[in-house]
Amino acid sequence: MDEQTTLLEQIMAYDFALYDLQLFLNTHPSDTNALRDYKMALEQSENLRRQYQSKYGPLTARYLPNTTCWQWINDPWPWNNKEV
Amino acid sequence: MWFYDKKTQYPINIKKPDPRMAIAILTQYGGPNGELAASLRYLSQRFSMPTKEAKATLNDIGTEELAHLEMIGTMVHQLMDKVPPKELEKLHVDTNYVIHGRSVYPSDSNGVPFTAAYIESMEDPIANLNEDLAAEEKARATYDYLINIADDPDVIDPLRFLREREVVHYQRFGETLRIVQETMGKKKYY
Repeated sequence: MDEQTTLLEQIMAYDFALYDLQLFLNTHPSDTNALRDYKMALEQSENLRRQYQSKYGPLTARYLPNTTCWQWINDPWPWNNKEV
Repeated sequence: MWFYDKKTQYPINIKKPDPRMAIAILTQYGGPNGELAASLRYLSQRFSMPTKEAKATLNDIGTEELAHLEMIGTMVHQLMDKVPPKELEKLHVDTNYVIHGRSVYPSDSNGVPFTAAYIESMEDPIANLNEDLAAEEKARATYDYLINIADDPDVIDPLRFLREREVVHYQRFGETLRIVQETMGKKKYY
């Protein structure tokens, strides 16, 4: 697996953990352990996302790299097969 | 509102085309127990949810179902992409091809188009949440059937992820139903 895919899959793993915790916290809003885990995963995800976007371009349109060209439209899109 | 994140919720990279499996999986795109029905059901029902826990749960599970719709669409696309028409004919999926090409269209595996008649949205939160619990189990059973007929690990792996999410959503809806019943029960004595 290339470096870009490895980094993206790390972000996906943290973002999935965050979403699962979000659903759990919706019905357990006072669970301090889940809140602590959410905070930890959020920091990790944001950190990895900064690294990814500075190297490989936007994951959301609200990230604007310091270039003269709109990078949001660039491949890969999530439904495309990874180039082997 | 929503913002788009340029990734699927779980990795999908299917290397071996399998048009028959694509058509089987298609039912989770636009079929009765599919992800589109799930998303529309919860996102419509959320407007009449009475407690903050129930509003958040319906909103956020409805949103996750959209990510699952994208996963299913991605799987159907990758399983069908670039397969020659003659090959589709040999595999008996040519009737789908002559209507939609190799596009992803919201129907079930038999080609029956998506309909909102698959879902209900009532003002009554107890009725809604009981429908939601059943919907999660029906989707879970559908993923069991799909896993039973699949043989490529690239296909089975994301299907297992989606199956597991149905189990988690069932759990969360059960907790939400309990919270709503307790809240409504208390109000009787005010």
